[in-house]
Amino acid sequence: MASESSARSDARVSPGRSVTIRCDGVIHEYDGRSGWIGSGSDRSVTALEDVSLEIETGEVVGLIGPSGSGKSTVLHVLAGLIVPDDGTVELLEDDLTACSERERTRLRRERVGLVFQQFHLLPSLTAVANVALPLVQLGYSRAERRRRAERRLEQVGLGDRTTHRPGELSGGERQRVAIARALVTDPDVILADEPTGELDTETGMAVLDDLVDAAAERTVVLATHDERAVDRTERAISLLDGAVVDDGR
Amino acid sequence: MAHRLRKLAATARLSAAQLRHEIGRSVLVIVAIALAVLAVTLLAGLGLGVLETGQDRFDEADQDVWISGGAVELTAGGGMENPIADSHQLAADVEEREDVQSASPIAFHAIYVGTEPEPSELELVSGVGVPGEHGGLTLEEGDGFSEGDVHYGEGDYDGPMTREVIVDPRMAERFDLEVGDTIYVGTSPSTAAEEEFTVVGISSSYSQFLGTTTATMPLSELQEIAGTTGSDRAAFVTATVASGANRGAVSDEIQEAHPEYDVRTSEEQFESMFEDQVLLLASGTALVVLAVVAGVVLTVNLLALVASRQRGELAALRALGLSRWLLTGIIGGQGIVLGLCGGLLGLLATPPAAFALNHLAASLVGFENLLRTPPIVYLAGGAIAVVVGTLGAAVAGWRTSRYARLEHLAE
Repeated sequence: MASESSARSDARVSPGRSVTIRCDGVIHEYDGRSGWIGSGSDRSVTALEDVSLEIETGEVVGLIGPSGSGKSTVLHVLAGLIVPDDGTVELLEDDLTACSERERTRLRRERVGLVFQQFHLLPSLTAVANVALPLVQLGYSRAERRRRAERRLEQVGLGDRTTHRPGELSGGERQRVAIARALVTDPDVILADEPTGELDTETGMAVLDDLVDAAAERTVVLATHDERAVDRTERAISLLDGAVVDDGR
Repeated sequence: MAHRLRKLAATARLSAAQLRHEIGRSVLVIVAIALAVLAVTLLAGLGLGVLETGQDRFDEADQDVWISGGAVELTAGGGMENPIADSHQLAADVEEREDVQSASPIAFHAIYVGTEPEPSELELVSGVGVPGEHGGLTLEEGDGFSEGDVHYGEGDYDGPMTREVIVDPRMAERFDLEVGDTIYVGTSPSTAAEEEFTVVGISSSYSQFLGTTTATMPLSELQEIAGTTGSDRAAFVTATVASGANRGAVSDEIQEAHPEYDVRTSEEQFESMFEDQVLLLASGTALVVLAVVAGVVLTVNLLALVASRQRGELAALRALGLSRWLLTGIIGGQGIVLGLCGGLLGLLATPPAAFALNHLAASLVGFENLLRTPPIVYLAGGAIAVVVGTLGAAVAGWRTSRYARLEHLAE
C-alpha cells in the first residue's frame, strides 16, 4: 500500500496546479495570562512567526517538526479554528482572516475534513453513526447518511465493523473510523493532526496509507513528528520554533 | 422544513443513543424524576382531597356559625381543648337571637372504652359530646339517642343518665360491637369499669370529622364522666342561622357580643383549622420541593457528567463544523427525553399509588377517597417533569457549549 501511495504521489506532483492553501506572513501568539481574573503575569507565547506557505490542489504535504514547533497551530490556522494575530490565510480561495466564525464553520463543514490524534469518536454511537454525524448537520436523510457512511467505512477497510462501538474497536480501527468521518462530506481538503500519535508504528503507517489512499485527489496536510510518516507525503514543510525552516520545495 | 425535521429527528435519536449508553444512570434519573412527579401528584391530590373532604364534613355538619375559644387542636390523648366555660349558657344566649335558629355546644375528651372492664382491655379514643337527639350524625346502624341530652336538666346535671353511645364503624369492628351491646367508658382506665353504656347506633360522621376513632354520647354525660360539669366546658358552640339571615353578619354580631371567643362562619372555621396546621402544610411543601430538587440535581449531574466526559469529542465535532445548537441538542435533548420518560412513569404510577394510599387511609382513619386525582393534579405532575427535564437540558446545553471549543480538542 505504501508503494502504491508513493506512486500516486509522484503522479500528482505536476506543475501548474492551482493553490488550495496559502499563508502569508502569519503571526500568532497564545495568550498565556493566568490568575483568577486573567490579570496575572503576561506570559504570551509566540506560536507562529511570519509563516508563509503554499499548498497546491491534490498535494499531500507533511508538516514536520519537534513538539512545540507550531505544527498543530498551523493546522488549526489552516482549518480556520484559530484566527492569526497577523497575516492572511487563504483556503479554497476564501480569506479565512476576513471570514466570520459562522463562515469559517460552514467552510469546514462543507469542504474540510479533520482527523485528530485522539480519534474523538462518541463512545455511545456505532462506527457508522459516528461517521454519519457530520451529515446530520448537512440535513441528509437517515438512509442517505447511512449509505454514505457505510461506503466510507468500506473504503477504509471497516465494512464489517459498521455496527461496532469505539470501545469494541482497536486503536487503528478507531482512527480509520475517524478518517471515514473526515471523508464522509466529500471535502476538498483533509487536515490531520498527528493521526498516528496514538498508534504503534506498523498500525500507524497502515492508517496513513489508508488516509492517503482514501483522500484520492484531495489536498492533504498532515502534521506529524514521526519522520517515517513523511515517506507517505509528497512534500514536507519543516517547522522550528513557529517558523518555516524548509518548505520542501 | 424537511431539512430541519430530519435534523431534529436525528438529534433525538442521538440523544436516545447517548442515554442507552449510560443505561444505569439514565434509569436512576428517570426513577428520580418519576418520584418527584409522584410526590407532586400524591401530595397535591392529598391536599385537594383533604380540602374537599373537610369542606364536605363542614357542609354535612350543617352549622353556619362556629364559636371557639382559640386554636382547635387535638390533644395527645385524642381529645380536644375545651376552652369554652358555661357552654350551655352561651348556646342559650346565642339561641335567643332572632336571626339564630338553634345553637348547641360540642365537647371533645379523650376517653377509654372497651367491652371488658379490665384496664388492660380498654383503648383510648376520642369522646364526642353532642346535644340533641343525634347531634347531626348520620347513622349507619341503629336508631340513635332515645332522649337526647336529658342529664343536663335545667343546668343542674340532675337529669337521668341515658348511658347511650354511638360508636364509629372502626370501633364496632375492633370490639365486635352491634347495636344493643354494652361497653365501658371513662376518662381513665379505673373509672371506665364503673360506667356502662349501651351502643345505640353506628356512625362515621365524627370519626371522619376528627380523623380518629370516636365514641359519641350526650354532651352532659360526657361532661359528667370527664368531671367538667362544674364549669360546663365545650370545644365549640355551633349555631344555625334563621332562614334568610346572613351568616356573615350574624357571625360578626355574635363576635361583637362575645369578644372573648373566636366567632367564625363555617367557611372561616374550616380555613382557620387548616391555617393551624401550617407545620403540616410546610412539611408537605418541603417534601415536594426536596423531591423536585433531587430530580433536578440527578438529571443535571448525569448530563453534566456526560458533557464533561465527552468534551474532547464535542470540541472535535464542533471543529468538524457541527453547530453549537446541534451539539447542545444532542446533550441537552437527553434532559428532555429523561423528563418525558420520568414524567410518564410518575403519571402512570399515580393511579395505583393513589388507590393504595386511599385504601390505607380508609383503614387507618376511616376517610374514603381522601386522595383525589383530578386532571389538574396530572397537569401539575407533568409540569414538574417538564421543569426538571428543561432545567437539566439547559444546564447540559450550557456545559456543552462551553466544552465545544478548540481548547478541549487535546483532552
